[in-house]
Amino acid sequence: MLNTWNKEQIMEISLSEYKSITAYDELFDANLRPRSAAQPLFDYLNSLDANELLARRQAVETNIMAMGITFTIYSEAGNIDRAWPFDVIPRVMSRAEWDPIQEGLKQRLTALNLFINDLYNKQQIVSDGVFPREVLEGSVNFRPQCVGVTPRFGVWAHICGTDLVRDRDGTVYVLEDNLRVPSGVSYMLENRQIMKRIFPEVFRTTSILPVDDYPTQLYQTLAALSPRPGDQPVIAVLTPGIYNSAYFEHSYLAQQMGAHLVEGQDLLVGTDDRVYMKNIFGLQQVDVIYRRIDDHFLDPEVFSPDSMLGVPGLMRAWRKGNVGIANAPGAGVADDKVVYAFVPQIIRYYLDQDPILANVPSYLCMYPDQCEHVLKNLDKLVVKPANESGGYGMMIGPRADEAERAKFADLIRANPRNYMAQPTLEISTAPTLVDGKLAPRHLDLRPFILQSDKLYVTTGGLTRVALRQGSLVVNSSQGGGSKDTWIVEEMPSC
Amino acid sequence: MLARAAQNLYWMARYLERAENTARLINSTTDVLLDLPHGATLGWDTLIKAVGLDELFSKQYSQANEDSIMRFMIEDEQNPSSILSCVKYARENTRTLRELLPEDLWECINSLYLYLRANANLATTSRRERYLVLNNVIAKRHAIVGLISGVMAHDLAYQFIRLGRNIERADMTTRILDINFAVSIPEDMALYEMSIERLWMSTLKALSAYQTYRRLKAVHVSSKNVIDFLINDEHFPRSLLYCLNEMESCLCVVPFSETVLSTVRNSRTNLLKLLSDNLQNGELHELLDLTQKDLGEINTALNKQYFHAKVGQQQSQSDAEMVQ
Repeated sequence: MLNTWNKEQIMEISLSEYKSITAYDELFDANLRPRSAAQPLFDYLNSLDANELLARRQAVETNIMAMGITFTIYSEAGNIDRAWPFDVIPRVMSRAEWDPIQEGLKQRLTALNLFINDLYNKQQIVSDGVFPREVLEGSVNFRPQCVGVTPRFGVWAHICGTDLVRDRDGTVYVLEDNLRVPSGVSYMLENRQIMKRIFPEVFRTTSILPVDDYPTQLYQTLAALSPRPGDQPVIAVLTPGIYNSAYFEHSYLAQQMGAHLVEGQDLLVGTDDRVYMKNIFGLQQVDVIYRRIDDHFLDPEVFSPDSMLGVPGLMRAWRKGNVGIANAPGAGVADDKVVYAFVPQIIRYYLDQDPILANVPSYLCMYPDQCEHVLKNLDKLVVKPANESGGYGMMIGPRADEAERAKFADLIRANPRNYMAQPTLEISTAPTLVDGKLAPRHLDLRPFILQSDKLYVTTGGLTRVALRQGSLVVNSSQGGGSKDTWIVEEMPSC
Repeated sequence: MLARAAQNLYWMARYLERAENTARLINSTTDVLLDLPHGATLGWDTLIKAVGLDELFSKQYSQANEDSIMRFMIEDEQNPSSILSCVKYARENTRTLRELLPEDLWECINSLYLYLRANANLATTSRRERYLVLNNVIAKRHAIVGLISGVMAHDLAYQFIRLGRNIERADMTTRILDINFAVSIPEDMALYEMSIERLWMSTLKALSAYQTYRRLKAVHVSSKNVIDFLINDEHFPRSLLYCLNEMESCLCVVPFSETVLSTVRNSRTNLLKLLSDNLQNGELHELLDLTQKDLGEINTALNKQYFHAKVGQQQSQSDAEMVQ
């Protein structure tokens, strides 16, 4: 009887919306009863009356404003700082389900780092015929300037944000690996802070695993890259500045780690090929840079010459081993939707293991037969450009009109290497507070994985939710919000 | 510490101090206007002249009345010294400094900004609301100062905040002292006496100095005593001497400060020497002008010494440790 969902007691469920979709729901089973991991949450919600929940939601908004948790939207009317849209109903997953996912993420990043290091050195995987040379040659994120370098521990991508989604049958898929400058972890941390402030009671009655050791883990990951081991390393977070949409996160992480927050103008590379920070008493050597700017802007001597954001000579210092850079320049070569299709083979090749996490079946337009299949099935597939992030430049076939499909067909024919397609997944939902009711909204999960001398995975990650009804786009720049993510230890039932 | 961070801390403190001082100045002027006899011409325009914004004001407004001047000084974002602008800049600076400051400090400054943005307009329309809103600004700013002094490590970052606060405070004290220079007073002897006393009383109130003045200096308010108190008192935190002493004590713990320190000491010597010459009314104005120039030189010296690191100025390991 305990498991019976009593809708009189608490928030009304938007039945009409739930009945109209067939997606897997993270918190409710097919009969709209709470899944067992979510049971304590609903027991708690049941103890509140509806007004109380709304009042707390109000408190959340006030808190978000006061905490100044914002992201920046670029528009013609100037850059607007928006409060971070947050849903109070958390996304809950049991630890039993999470543990294998965590192992799968570690396996994946380990393999990807071996792959990147191989590409910049012997290219064994190419000569062994597992990874096609033409894919490598067509990669826009391969940096010839990095060839021959082996960073410490052979690790290039130290911080990875992997997007996971769940399909209708409950299978969790990796959607993409973000190996360049993945963002969002500060929101994961702040979401938990907000929940603790607003719903302190539930943390007493439910065993929710903490997330707040991430800054310490990040610090250790970075410190391990210092070229001057033994010393207290000088670590700097390199930001493009206050107008970047993730500036909040840059300053937040610097603050949490006790690192320096610097812009390109604050650094210089001396004739000794070391990196220095311009301090009040002169110059101080920097050991590790956690850069939050793209490769192209890192060093105007090597990449984009008109970059105002970077530091001239930085690549020189890095190649000589005088500074650690995370993620290493060129790590983005494995963050490419075409490379993505090869990850299962990459895992098998380097680790001689079967992949723990599933890859979404992918069709690469560079292969004529697969391209043909894509062009014939544009109405069923999601088409993605190989190198865009943030949900830009993609087409969701079943939702596109004839004109848009025609446009994409032309784009694909003009540059097949740049496109891949996947079947449309029916991404899972979770109940979200909409107009006072619990309505299903689609979501994904971005855990963050760290690797230098050891591996670490965040407990859960950042859950991003598409706040518009029916929308599949979870990016904050396009109307997405977020939820706290709970990995809960389930009490053995008697 | 990063040179740019030191500069931002310094300016964050200056902006916050300026916001508070402007709020105090407006409240005390409102107060004294109610009491002045007819014929005395302390007007609102005196206020913007005192803070050196009269030119900017006349570019943007055709009429100088209470309404327009309040809008200009409280909420006009075109005016870089309006209270709202100051708080906004302080908030932006704090954003770039969150890693150096106590966590709550950002929330405090952010909440001051959100409060002011929501209420600035109200404050420009009614005197009663204005008093309340400006007092809240002052109280919230004090919560910020309290956090800085009670929770923040008293390290180098703290010294740059103190430097900014004190140079701005000294600057405002010179400006408020100078206001009376711009006022003309009725020639009727009885009214004259009364007006003079009122004016100096308002000067004291604008600096929250009235009570301390009476306790430490004299019960009777006379120009000579007020001037002497606000310039020369060793204990009152808004007197020029006190502010300069504070800056000196900051610089004594910040390494490599010899040049800046001597600028501070020079300006203190100038101030005290001129003061001892028993000032006539017009001479006070000149003295204050000179002091403002000296404060400008301290600002320049700080800029040169700390805010722009140069190539070839390698830091030794022991310096690096001091920075930690």
